[in-house]
Amino acid sequence: MSVTKMGPKGLIVYNPTKAYNGYNLFCPFWEPLYTEAKYCWLMDMEGRFVHRWRVPYPPGCHGILLPNGNLLYAGNLKTIQELGLGWTEEFSGVGGILLEIDWDGNIVWEAEVPCQGHDFTVMENGHIMYIAWDPKGIVPDEIAARVKGGRPGTELNGKIWGDVLIEIDRDGNRVWEWLAYEHLDPEVDTLCPLENRSQWPYLNSVWICRDGNVLLSTRYLNQVTKIDYKTGKVIGRYGRGKIFHQHDCRELDNGNILLFDNGTHRHEYEPEYSRVVELDPGTDEVVWEYKANPPSDFFSAHSGGCERQPNGNTVIIETAKGRMFEVTPGGEIVWEYVNPHYTCYRGRPSNQIWRVHRYSPDYPGLKGKDLNPEKLAWVNRIWGPDAFPRDIKPCLF
Amino acid sequence: MSYARTSLKGVMFYDSVKAYNGVTLFTPMEGRDVWLIDMMGRLVNHWRTPYQPGCDAKLLPNGNLLYAGKITSGPLAGLEGAGGILLELDWDGNVVWECKDPYLHHTFDRMQNGNTLVLKWVKLPDNIAGRVKGGDSGTEIDGVMWGEAIQEIAIDGKLVWEWVAHEHLDPDVTPRCPVCPRSTWIHANAVSELPDGNILVSFAKSDVIAIIDKRTGDIKWQWGPGKLAHQHCPTVLDNGNILVFDNGMHPGGFAWGFSTVIEVNPKNNEIVWEYGGGGEECLDFYSSTLGSCQRLPNGNTLICEGTTGRIFEITPALELVWEFANNLPLYEPPPGQTRSHMVCSAYRYGMDYSGLKRTVSIPTERQSAPGTLSETEEKAVRARLGALGY
Repeated sequence: MSVTKMGPKGLIVYNPTKAYNGYNLFCPFWEPLYTEAKYCWLMDMEGRFVHRWRVPYPPGCHGILLPNGNLLYAGNLKTIQELGLGWTEEFSGVGGILLEIDWDGNIVWEAEVPCQGHDFTVMENGHIMYIAWDPKGIVPDEIAARVKGGRPGTELNGKIWGDVLIEIDRDGNRVWEWLAYEHLDPEVDTLCPLENRSQWPYLNSVWICRDGNVLLSTRYLNQVTKIDYKTGKVIGRYGRGKIFHQHDCRELDNGNILLFDNGTHRHEYEPEYSRVVELDPGTDEVVWEYKANPPSDFFSAHSGGCERQPNGNTVIIETAKGRMFEVTPGGEIVWEYVNPHYTCYRGRPSNQIWRVHRYSPDYPGLKGKDLNPEKLAWVNRIWGPDAFPRDIKPCLF
Repeated sequence: MSYARTSLKGVMFYDSVKAYNGVTLFTPMEGRDVWLIDMMGRLVNHWRTPYQPGCDAKLLPNGNLLYAGKITSGPLAGLEGAGGILLELDWDGNVVWECKDPYLHHTFDRMQNGNTLVLKWVKLPDNIAGRVKGGDSGTEIDGVMWGEAIQEIAIDGKLVWEWVAHEHLDPDVTPRCPVCPRSTWIHANAVSELPDGNILVSFAKSDVIAIIDKRTGDIKWQWGPGKLAHQHCPTVLDNGNILVFDNGMHPGGFAWGFSTVIEVNPKNNEIVWEYGGGGEECLDFYSSTLGSCQRLPNGNTLICEGTTGRIFEITPALELVWEFANNLPLYEPPPGQTRSHMVCSAYRYGMDYSGLKRTVSIPTERQSAPGTLSETEEKAVRARLGALGY
């Protein structure tokens, strides 16, 4: 118990004239022992739940709503211990199975994707590209010896795990793959000096750009890396020296890159803070950022996400606090919600959420769907807007 | 600003049976004030000082306040922990002693003999600075990396004793954070006199707490690398153990973002008690910088989570028995600074503390601060509090 936990939960701020209207999809972390939370939630702007999908596995790490109205969800099939690969908690975020679940909760498609971790994305042709810690990607010793940075001697049982990008078709066949160690430059793509040498480069987001190439968040390199889809070559390195242990790197319509700059291991000695940054890939300059005031009020050492809305606002998820909020280009908070579901994650009480996605009411996947919160009336009585006092007066002094 | 973070203020929780009864002194980063409150959050005393905090204040056994202030025009004013002045104020806010030196920083300790231990930045000679590894080059201040000195200052301002870090520590083997700026070398942030006369000190950028032999200047004991990360406020306990606030900033390896308060036995370097870190409060307790911890006479521990402005007390069994969130939105932030509820440090004084004997009457109702605010200021403060619904 603490102020943070006793603090306001549920919907805290909503300015309907300035916020981008839509439905919010999120999948709170939970662990198999805790059985109450096996759901992905769709919530309206008022904090009312309008739909939920029961999911058979904990998130690994998120789900998206497809234009056909189904949920595409990465599930955590086996725990790190069950995988038996000697992984430590740095490999948190492992998935292992992709599920497509229809509106009524039926599993209509599934594919086992061993060692999948963090992110996946649907390509234009319907294929799915995902990140994996595949043993195939383990960095060969002669390259590993040349990888610069990291804390000496912290390899995982003497090995550096390199990430693998994998594309599968809907029959589950691998049609394309990319091994990080084959294309990164050990002299240039150096590891954060404080990180373990267990992984290189630690991918945590994948995004298909409009030119068909792939934008990757290479976390331990403190850099966004763009690769050529055809040749696999690295064709862009962004944000070096500006961003630290970032997540959720996306290409915007204007060609800029939006990302969640966690600020972990930032080269500063100031109270730590996260920020959301828009980078111009041409100049590598920060053209927009959101920071809290004071900056340390917004910080997630791990995970985090950001999504630009059509009206120019940005929806941000501060994972470690289970807090999602929307800011205008001017940095004004126009919507704020703190996840009231405390479940169990890594053996501790947690309301953490990896990502939130917002879908406007005219999104094809929501067409003709029953979005009446009355359907989940009892859920909304417990977790909805009326369950949480909004106007809390400070006490004493 | 986050509404979720800023809407709960004041004393949030108080278990009057289990908490250690007393008054709590705390120094917000914003403003120029030190506040003394009782267990219910009622104002007992308030000191307005001419300087921003830089960044510690303690109530002395004689009832005076010893305050580390910051000279904003100082040569190193931009550094974390910058100071420049020590002030001793009596209960009514009159300055009874001061010590000025633009290179003073962080904190101090009033010794048993009446002298004062201070931390001071001294230029690191180029040949030594060149051997220090870690940090991005170019982050020095005008090409200078600042090293550390500990000084003992007599009441008349005379230097009685000095320990210069680079005369005793080898820059080739002294650990240093690889990502912290090269503006300072090891960045001392705490100093105190032990009962045996030796000196307990914390070097934040080395992740080291150490005991310095007062006579020889040698390091008698040191601990921390791989265990601590940019810690603050080590204090020695009656049982000889050392309590320290391990911030958990820039830890080696994967960072989840949490702090830990640790009690370590310096005889065998074993951790005998801890709060946070591996415990179930994990990510709910984090202050990347600042922070303090204090073991109370009944065995409880008072913790100041600096960056969130949260002060709380826990029992040895980690049960929360008192919790306070800094709620002093009294001042507009100085130009160029952001609004902040951060708190540098917090200390609890029992009702039998000698420094409280002469003057204190604990208020039974809400009561305005005595004397130290002018009538106009008082009105402004009241109006502001009123507007905020206090």
